[in-house]
Amino acid sequence: MFGVLSYLKPYAKWMILAWGLMLVELAVELWHPWLMAKIIDDGILKNDFSVVWKWGGIMLGTSFIAFVAGIANSFTAAHVGQNFGFALRNRLFEKVQSFSFSNLNQFPTSSLITRMTNDVTQIQNTVFMSLRIMLRAPLLVLFGTVMALFVHFKLALILVFTIPILLLFLIWMMNKGMSLFKMVQQKLDQVNEVMRENLAGMKLIKAMMRGEHEQRRFIKANEDLMKRTIQSVQIMELSMPVLLFVMNIGIIIILWFGNMNIQIGSAKAGEVVAIVNYATRITSALSIFTFILIVFSRAKASAQRISEVLTVNIDLSDREEIHHETTIKEGKVVFEDVYFQYPNTHAPVLKNISFIAHPGETIAILGATGSGKSSLLQLIPQLYDVNKGRVLIDDIDVRDMNQEMLRKEIGFAPQEVLLFSGTVKENIAFGKEDASMEEIMEAAKHAQIHETIMKLPNAYDTMVGQKGVNLSGGQKQRLSIARALIRKPKILLLDDSTSALDLKTEAGLFKALKSYTCTTFIVTQKVSTAMEADTILLLDEGTLLAKGNHECLLERCALYQKIVQSQLGNEEKYIC
Amino acid sequence: MLKPQYRLKETSEQKANNGFRTLKRVSTLLSKQKGMLALVLLMVVFSSFLSLFGPYFIGKIIDEHIVTKKQDGLIQSIMILGGVYLFLSLSLFLQNYWMAAIAQKTVYSLRKQLFEKFHKLPIRFFEERQHGELMSRITNDIENVSQTLNSSMIQFFSSTLTLVGAVFVMLSLSPLLTVLTLTIVPMMYFGMKWITNRTSMLFKEQQRNLGELNGFIEESISGQKIIKMFSREKKVISEFQRKNETLKQSGFWAQTYSGFIPKLMNVLNNVSFAIIAGIGGVFTLKGLISIGVIVIFAEYSRQFTRPLNDLANQFNMLLSAIAGAERVFEIIDMEEEEDNKEAVHLPNIKGEVEFHHVSFSYEKRQETIRDIHFRVSPGETVALVGPTGAGKTTIINLLSRFYDPDSGQVFIDDYDIKRIKRASLRQHMAFVLQDTFLFQGTIRENIRYGRLDASDKDVEEAAKLANAHSFIMKLPNGYDTILNQEGSGISQGQKQLLAIARAILANPSILILDEATSSIDTVTELKIQEALQRLMKGRTSFVIAHRLNTIRNADQILVLNEGRIIEKGTHHSLLKAKGFYYELYHAGTGQYNMS
Repeated sequence: MFGVLSYLKPYAKWMILAWGLMLVELAVELWHPWLMAKIIDDGILKNDFSVVWKWGGIMLGTSFIAFVAGIANSFTAAHVGQNFGFALRNRLFEKVQSFSFSNLNQFPTSSLITRMTNDVTQIQNTVFMSLRIMLRAPLLVLFGTVMALFVHFKLALILVFTIPILLLFLIWMMNKGMSLFKMVQQKLDQVNEVMRENLAGMKLIKAMMRGEHEQRRFIKANEDLMKRTIQSVQIMELSMPVLLFVMNIGIIIILWFGNMNIQIGSAKAGEVVAIVNYATRITSALSIFTFILIVFSRAKASAQRISEVLTVNIDLSDREEIHHETTIKEGKVVFEDVYFQYPNTHAPVLKNISFIAHPGETIAILGATGSGKSSLLQLIPQLYDVNKGRVLIDDIDVRDMNQEMLRKEIGFAPQEVLLFSGTVKENIAFGKEDASMEEIMEAAKHAQIHETIMKLPNAYDTMVGQKGVNLSGGQKQRLSIARALIRKPKILLLDDSTSALDLKTEAGLFKALKSYTCTTFIVTQKVSTAMEADTILLLDEGTLLAKGNHECLLERCALYQKIVQSQLGNEEKYIC
Repeated sequence: MLKPQYRLKETSEQKANNGFRTLKRVSTLLSKQKGMLALVLLMVVFSSFLSLFGPYFIGKIIDEHIVTKKQDGLIQSIMILGGVYLFLSLSLFLQNYWMAAIAQKTVYSLRKQLFEKFHKLPIRFFEERQHGELMSRITNDIENVSQTLNSSMIQFFSSTLTLVGAVFVMLSLSPLLTVLTLTIVPMMYFGMKWITNRTSMLFKEQQRNLGELNGFIEESISGQKIIKMFSREKKVISEFQRKNETLKQSGFWAQTYSGFIPKLMNVLNNVSFAIIAGIGGVFTLKGLISIGVIVIFAEYSRQFTRPLNDLANQFNMLLSAIAGAERVFEIIDMEEEEDNKEAVHLPNIKGEVEFHHVSFSYEKRQETIRDIHFRVSPGETVALVGPTGAGKTTIINLLSRFYDPDSGQVFIDDYDIKRIKRASLRQHMAFVLQDTFLFQGTIRENIRYGRLDASDKDVEEAAKLANAHSFIMKLPNGYDTILNQEGSGISQGQKQLLAIARAILANPSILILDEATSSIDTVTELKIQEALQRLMKGRTSFVIAHRLNTIRNADQILVLNEGRIIEKGTHHSLLKAKGFYYELYHAGTGQYNMS
């Protein structure tokens, strides 16, 4: 909670201002009954109109001051609240951006989203509220108690004893509420998760006619959320009746002892009346507490959830970056006895991999489904750290390089294409921030997608991604390749990113790639692609089964022969 | 501080109307629990009465026992007072207790409605929107409604009740002064109107911006790999900050304006008091009313303004809830993908498919497919071949009625598919779609998605046929291995194997394989091919594949280019024709054959 609240520090001055303004309001408000009494007693009752006009004028004047103070308070409170929320969201987002993949796996995506929006809003509203009314209730309670003590010390002691007990009760309730509301937020995460999955998989759900099944899943999550919320709110609602009851019993006791004290003459009737009066005022101030209580316990739960994200340890190697400024110049890639295992899994996916890729070479990676092709590729830009061995680029261990410098010279087209909501232009330029229109178009041409783009409704300004036009799988793949090509990388990684391309387009693409001087890694299923490569790496269940060029493997490697056979098979006979 | 005023888009008239309609719809939802609501109301009346009775009784005790020092009957009176307070607390607790249930049940049904609606919307809807933005309607908008219903409803009831009561008492004391007191009502009305005109729009603006931000967050977390790979964290963060800033602006003004309401009410209270004191004084001078009446009246006018104040405060929360609810109803009111009224249910189909001069475009300006015309006999395998973007997947989309043709018709067993219920149509089909999608859950559950009543043995049988069994058994928990978000943890090719197993399990009359094996290595593919051949036997099958050797055995190959069928035939006849297909085929294998 306090970690999160530290984001309020920059606004300390504004907060003090807000509270100051609130005090002005409160002072005027507390002064008004006295003014009213004066108008009635000295003015109306005595038929003295000059008094009525005078105090009435003062009253209106001060209430105008209170009004102005109130408006100013509203501004300052909103300023603090909104800026606080703004800063918190920014910080959260930055933190999540710095997450490693295993960090990301600690939280479901939907939960991260809820934390960044819903949870922040909860805290933000609480801050806003506390700047406007929070001090009011405690001040009224304190003020009332002190006044009562002045009126009749012994009788007022009853209040002095009751109020701390109630406060302890409220604090206990608040902690209870916090754990309850934390569970509510967790259930909200789950509802959100089912929702997210359904939105992402809607086509499949519709195709498989599984709407009802999904609705049952949702109803379960929804019911859980409802039950949890009802339960939490109902428990929290217990606090006000209890509080009222205790305070009212206190008043009864005051009346009882008041009567006794009057009997023996140690209290005057007026004093008892006054204390009862203060007690009722304190009661109404305390009941505002309940409201604050619920809001606070919710906020506390949210603050904890936010802290959980903010305090995550980023678990990518934090080795001293020896070569801060080094960028990739040649594009030589060396794997030395590399072992790799995904975080939180049991078995390594890559074992004892060693090879050298010289600058400008094309390396094809082949292997069965799940043999570790994509995993191998991901180690080059250090998306993950190796468990054993080293990955060297230009003879420098990637862990010793600055990540940004390292990735700057690498172009990557992943297996699963992901475009962002935005224009075609923006999506391609994602690969190079300051790209000119010429560069964008050149990359698009090389990726064999320029002509298709020109046919889109707004050409390069057409919206794509989640909010965009319908693109075919192959079109998306080519945009993703253009995004990688635009940075004219020293190392190009194509992770089976031509699978949805027809052979003709693919051939065009590979021809265009020849104009790039980069070390290219291509994960592929096609022998026709592999044949063109300088070296083929053949993976089998995480080990490097064979390496060499096409002819060499065809001669020596049984699995490779089998792969070639699977693609040409009987056809060979037909064509020849 | 913050700079520019927010520019408001809609006219205020329109707004107020919308708000009112939304409010009515929410109350319709609430009224589904009439019985409970009546109980809550009863408790509110009860507790209002008791909370008035309490002070009255204290007054009585003071008069009888404190001022007069009498002791007889004190215990009795105190017992009664204790009883009153006990019942007061009890009725307060009960009303809140029940209200929590009513509110949450209402919110529950709102969430349910929204979710069910999503399943009734056409696929086009989802392809044009950000998922995170839609999710925001459940997390941020409905939660707004939820919290308002929880905290404001009872306040609303009791304030209204006290207000009415106070007006009655005031009227009975002095109609004249009452009218004077009520002169602040028009002032209040205009003041409130001025404020709420702004806040209601600002709240909506805020919710919309929050939704946008939610959408952005969702996309950037899903796209984390790309962002990292291209070291674009800084750019994404600055984009986030820009959106965040917009949200802050609208949030700031919404909160500021909404903070005005209690302040306005305070001033008006004081004005009202001044009116009573000033004009009342003049009246007493003229002997129209007694001084005592003014004193009591001044007290009651506070009784009158306090609930008004509370109401005004609640009103504000209500507005923010309305802004949320409106965004939910916006979706609920969208046009559904409805079945034709005369649509029939087909219990069995033979699997004859015909496309009759079908044209279709996703975007108005660009036709995706044009005049597609072909016929497939039951049990035949049809391969769709052609460059990317030629319209292959579009044909599948039309066949399964994700979209309807702009012109022309699609027939299954001589039924225009527009006349078949969607559920009935898709029930006979199984899909392996281009974007493989797996759900969170175990592998077993994911395969069983193809047929929910399949036994564990059926599931494993299907996995074996799809060649997925061996890799599944290598996973730490076998079939019970939990796939987390969208199946991460297994490779793309393995995902496709699972999708194939899912389709095998479904056992459909029409099988659709859209790039079903694109990420699977060719050796494994050969093995599955055999199973697929067996699966396709006796079923009408549509196969899209780029590796042309996988479709050699198709009964019919349709070669598409730029949205038209340019060649039709079997593998052999097409190769002999030496046309487009021949070229496509040799683009891939040509080089190898030369070497």
